[in-house]
Amino acid sequence: MPQLNSVYRHREFQDLLTLSGYERAGGWNGLKATLEMTPDDALYAFHRSGLRGRGGAGFPMGRKASFLPVDSGRPTYVVCNADESEPGTFKDREILDKNPFQLIEGVAIASYGVGCERAYIYVRGEYGHQWDVLERAIAECRAAGRLGPDAFGPGAPFDITLYRGAGAYICGEETALLESLEGKRGQPRLKPPYPAVAGLYDCPTLINNVETLAALPPIMHRGADWYSAIGPEKSPGTKIFSVSGHVLKPGNYEIVMGETTLRDLIFDLAGGLRDGREFKACWPGGSSVPVLTAEHLDTPLDYESLASAGSFLGSGGCIVMDDSGCIVRASWRLAHFYRHESCGKCTPCREGTGWLEKILGRIVHGDGRLEDLAMLESLFGRISGRTLCALADGAVAPVQSALELFRDDFERVIEQGGSPVPEPMGVINA
Amino acid sequence: MPEHDEAPIIITINGQAVEARKGAMLVDAAKAVGVEIPIFCYEPRLGKPIGACRMCLVEVEGMRGLQTACSTPVAPDMVVNTTSDQVKGAQDGVLELLLANHPLDCPVCDKGGECPLQDRTFQFGPGETRSLEPKNHFPKPLDLSPLVALDRERCIACFRCVRFSEDVAEDGQLTFHERGDHTEIATFSGEPYEGRFTGNTIDLCPVGALTSNPYRFVSRPWDIKNAPSICAGCSVGCNVEITARDGEIKRLTGRPDPNMAVEEGWICDRGRWAFPALTAGDRLLMPEIVDQVGRRQVRIERAVGDAGAILRRSGVRVAFLLGTPVTVEDGFLALELSHLLGDGPVARLGVADDGLGPLRALPGAQMDDMDGADVIVVVGGDPSSQQPVTELRIRKARRNGARVAMVGPRPTALDGNTAEALRTVPGRLGDAIDVVAERLLGSSRAIVLWDECDLAAEPDTAAALARLVASTPGARAIELAADVSGPGLRALGIPATGVLEQIEAGAVDVLITVKADPTTGPGGARWAAALNQVPTVIALCTHRSPIVDLAAIAIPVLYGLEEAGTLVSMTGRAQRLRPGAAGPEGAAAAWEVLVGLSHRMGQPLPDRTAAQAFDRLATRFPAFAGLTCTDLGLLGVPIVAGTGGPAAPARQAEGEGLPLVVCTPVFGDATAHRSDALDCVREETHLGLSPAEAGRLGVSGSTHVQVTTPFASVLLPLVEDHRLHEAGAYLVLGDPTSMAATLLPEGRGPVCAAITAPVAQGVSA
Amino acid sequence: MTAHEISEFLAPIRHEFPDQRSLILPALRFAQEEQGWLPQGAMAAVAEATGYSQAYVESVASFYDRLYTEPVGRRVISVCTTLSCMLRGSDELLAHVAANIGTNGEGTSADGMFTLQRAECLGACDRAPCLQVDSNDQQGPLTHDAADAIIGALRADGAPTRYDR
Repeated sequence: MPQLNSVYRHREFQDLLTLSGYERAGGWNGLKATLEMTPDDALYAFHRSGLRGRGGAGFPMGRKASFLPVDSGRPTYVVCNADESEPGTFKDREILDKNPFQLIEGVAIASYGVGCERAYIYVRGEYGHQWDVLERAIAECRAAGRLGPDAFGPGAPFDITLYRGAGAYICGEETALLESLEGKRGQPRLKPPYPAVAGLYDCPTLINNVETLAALPPIMHRGADWYSAIGPEKSPGTKIFSVSGHVLKPGNYEIVMGETTLRDLIFDLAGGLRDGREFKACWPGGSSVPVLTAEHLDTPLDYESLASAGSFLGSGGCIVMDDSGCIVRASWRLAHFYRHESCGKCTPCREGTGWLEKILGRIVHGDGRLEDLAMLESLFGRISGRTLCALADGAVAPVQSALELFRDDFERVIEQGGSPVPEPMGVINA
Repeated sequence: MPEHDEAPIIITINGQAVEARKGAMLVDAAKAVGVEIPIFCYEPRLGKPIGACRMCLVEVEGMRGLQTACSTPVAPDMVVNTTSDQVKGAQDGVLELLLANHPLDCPVCDKGGECPLQDRTFQFGPGETRSLEPKNHFPKPLDLSPLVALDRERCIACFRCVRFSEDVAEDGQLTFHERGDHTEIATFSGEPYEGRFTGNTIDLCPVGALTSNPYRFVSRPWDIKNAPSICAGCSVGCNVEITARDGEIKRLTGRPDPNMAVEEGWICDRGRWAFPALTAGDRLLMPEIVDQVGRRQVRIERAVGDAGAILRRSGVRVAFLLGTPVTVEDGFLALELSHLLGDGPVARLGVADDGLGPLRALPGAQMDDMDGADVIVVVGGDPSSQQPVTELRIRKARRNGARVAMVGPRPTALDGNTAEALRTVPGRLGDAIDVVAERLLGSSRAIVLWDECDLAAEPDTAAALARLVASTPGARAIELAADVSGPGLRALGIPATGVLEQIEAGAVDVLITVKADPTTGPGGARWAAALNQVPTVIALCTHRSPIVDLAAIAIPVLYGLEEAGTLVSMTGRAQRLRPGAAGPEGAAAAWEVLVGLSHRMGQPLPDRTAAQAFDRLATRFPAFAGLTCTDLGLLGVPIVAGTGGPAAPARQAEGEGLPLVVCTPVFGDATAHRSDALDCVREETHLGLSPAEAGRLGVSGSTHVQVTTPFASVLLPLVEDHRLHEAGAYLVLGDPTSMAATLLPEGRGPVCAAITAPVAQGVSA
Repeated sequence: MTAHEISEFLAPIRHEFPDQRSLILPALRFAQEEQGWLPQGAMAAVAEATGYSQAYVESVASFYDRLYTEPVGRRVISVCTTLSCMLRGSDELLAHVAANIGTNGEGTSADGMFTLQRAECLGACDRAPCLQVDSNDQQGPLTHDAADAIIGALRADGAPTRYDR
């Protein structure tokens, strides 16, 4: 199985929680190489590497950075999105827990490229432990002069401010995150203008996910060409998948894009299912993507292939359900999640997510009618594609796809008078 | 705005090529050519579009998915479809979702029948609701304040009210709490929503979530008649909409089509909820005369007839005194009548303004000119109290980038976040001229707002300020006029003085007052004495006051909201009052009474309507040259500014003690005192002192103080306030029964007052 | 928590934010450390220290799940019940914890020691079913016995000196 720990270097090296340990493992080589380039060349390297945003949308990182106006006459900011909260996704948590300096180095590299003197890392409120780790790492960097007035050379300052969220999934959406970072309710902004032009404090802003930024140090150290040669042309590099649910070895797996299939990920790396259980469904890129069935298990894991299979690579949070699970109950639980996390700004999302939850709840609890399925189908289009941000689309995608692919299950639950509470899988690897 | 001048661009809407203004949002471009795109959250007066309600989705060729028309600017050759199946599906969908949790209580909702949600649903929405699910519930309707009621279940979270609070009034009180489908409008820990502009949230609400408490269950849309008019509460001249039922005013709101050059649709709560004063218990409903039988009520024909008979006597010397709100037509007809009667004195109750000529000669500005100002300096006064809606324009100017400075002896609501507060020593506004000069330095679009009362008291400062503004390139001035009638009557050349002296000289046989009672205002004691020497007082009044008891004939007249006529605002804008209600049966408009008198005198004036009177006066007075009543239209027009008058030397304050700093908040004026709706926000008449000064005067902790000037001595409630300057006594006027205004001389002017412990009460602990 | 204390906490980080509004969230978090939730006085103090209105501060606070505008127990136990954890028995874990601390589902125990809440994905699906005490590291996978042990240890610890929710 082509695994390559380019971001998860803590799996290759000891002691990455201290600055000296990180340096012994080759830390800062990426930044050193970057500082020898002009910022323009650094941006070009980001671009050539083919690195795509690992937060969910998969937008090419170098292109995003190139959208920042060069001479806006205003400060430029880099914001790291560490608000990991997509259900089924815990890959960034491990970077923050185990390899914080690589993230810091990545943030510094991106900041040098776009001319930013102060970057912000927005850490999910619930990640208290990870916050502590990061805070210590930053303090160590400051003490060692890696951050501060001469971080990028004499008189070339750079520093990072940590900012802690307080419990709101929507703040993982980049403009909602910026609002939150500005001390407001975390509600997505109308776009355009995009953050590249008017982001944090209305200034040009590059905002990227933890994994994306942590990918930069090896890219800059070993060269953009090294990275772009890994995996398929349009989805180069490595990607971390978080696998959870009904698998025997839940966890994070950094794989070479395109060279591993969904089947490899679930049945090989993540240990497969319990004896006697059949694969039922999986949500391969977090919960906001269409669900896939056993038919799709041989799909290679890269942006294009998963899209062709009818889903998305998303955040890489792969939730697996075996045949002990009920797709209707799972859909209801996800609907609850999106209803709870809708910020309430756009009508279709605020009202629609609740409606979906109510209908699915009725079906799960035995008050469903077959007409409800038509109602659901008519609601999908009224919610999805109608809002400022993608939360509503994410709320609809798993439910809509489940109804398409498992309509029999929905009908059976309605006819049988509800979804029986399943035997829990229990703790397998405790 | 410069972009208006640019060549329009061509776009296609629903197959039709149309012109659009560059930079316009699609929704406005469509509206301009008669295509309605439904909206809820879009309201450009609240700032940039937020695209939240998703009601305005349209199809734009070449753009992926549907676009919000509220936030998509037009572009050359854009092809837009607002009626395609996809668009209709989206509109249907948004409305269905909005109604999913919206209670269907329209029959008992005050908004029913005039509700945008209801209207859009009929026009664009689904025929019926398909939802079987139980609706989300919130706690029962509650009072956000005694004036504004909130029903959270009806709220569609359009952001309008909270944006008004945060971005227009900037009071920071009304916000969203929670999120998602739990989102609710709330104040901090449920405290009342208090402010001067809270009622605008009711006008903004597109559903029945925010409604007017005084209007609760008062009438239904099919029972009412609406009329556009002008608020006569202060000199701003806000355009308003009057709602009447059975001839009685039930509601006052901002106009659906606001006057962007004046109030932009925002009105103050005083303006909105003062109308109950029109039906207050002390309203004069029937004429009263005094004859052999004594005082008795008569019909208006009889009263006018009796008055005409008095005036017909040969050689009778007649004077006119005009108060407020008196229209330009009233003033004109008083002049006409006076001419027929031998050209006796005609004066208005107002500020003697000898030295204000140089300021009035400065280039003027309209309210909306403040939007593009780079510097705003307010010299004297307190617009938040006396011309409230001005505050909102100043805040807007600041948001648009203007630097704002408040210069004067009073703390104001704009100090701090919005404006730099340059506090002056009471009575010495002139000290600040150099600082004002500094603030104006380098500006190119400055607007200086100056207070009529404060600058009249310091003519030397007025002259210096006028020189300064005149020498600042691009700078313009707005007069913060003290009363609603002043600017219009001044344009007719009616002075603020002259009658009292004539009475005291024994040269007046008959005094006709129009909405004026000088006995409770400045120079009140002197007026009271003088009136005893006038053989006959004919008083045209809206409400009872001491003058009614002095008058041989008292004739009830209509109040601004009930009559036709013209008022000139503080920015010199002539605007039409239109009658929103009939008024008391026994009353008539003041101008009608004046014309009636001419008939009874046998010298009939030709005017049958206020409009005819206006057209006639416009041919006589250069300020209105070339205008007809029709020209004023719905939004009014600026009149020709006067050429001003000479400067005047500094004035010496009369009396001993602390200089009086005088303010007449509209929230505490006579009309506000007559409206019980305003009980919760009324500003009470009082004397303010800094705690330090109160201590020095030995009145610390007293509830009341005796205030004594050469003109009167009055017992007033004491308010100690650390924001007040030590070297002044802050007199807050308004309640006519307090007689506090009689502490001032006729025509106002600088006064000092002795502040002592109450004589009878002694010093309390 | 006084406005002065909050201002002192903010002093060293003020310069990191060009717009002082950004200080509201850190200030709210700091204010919450004292009592574990945000009484009105604490929000008023944040308003004073940051220069924003009290209503605005409450509006911001109420948006976020981990800022509590109503009283909560000395320890807040969040049991993740989103899909990955649900598939591995989170609902049973929630019920078990509730039984242990004596609440009927979500809620605060009678002795004020615990508040139990169901949480949305805590980012620890590899530890499913998991729970989180305040904002400590997510714990799991948890058997019911292991959960009992955690609760027992918390009972023994009593109240923390600072609350990090």
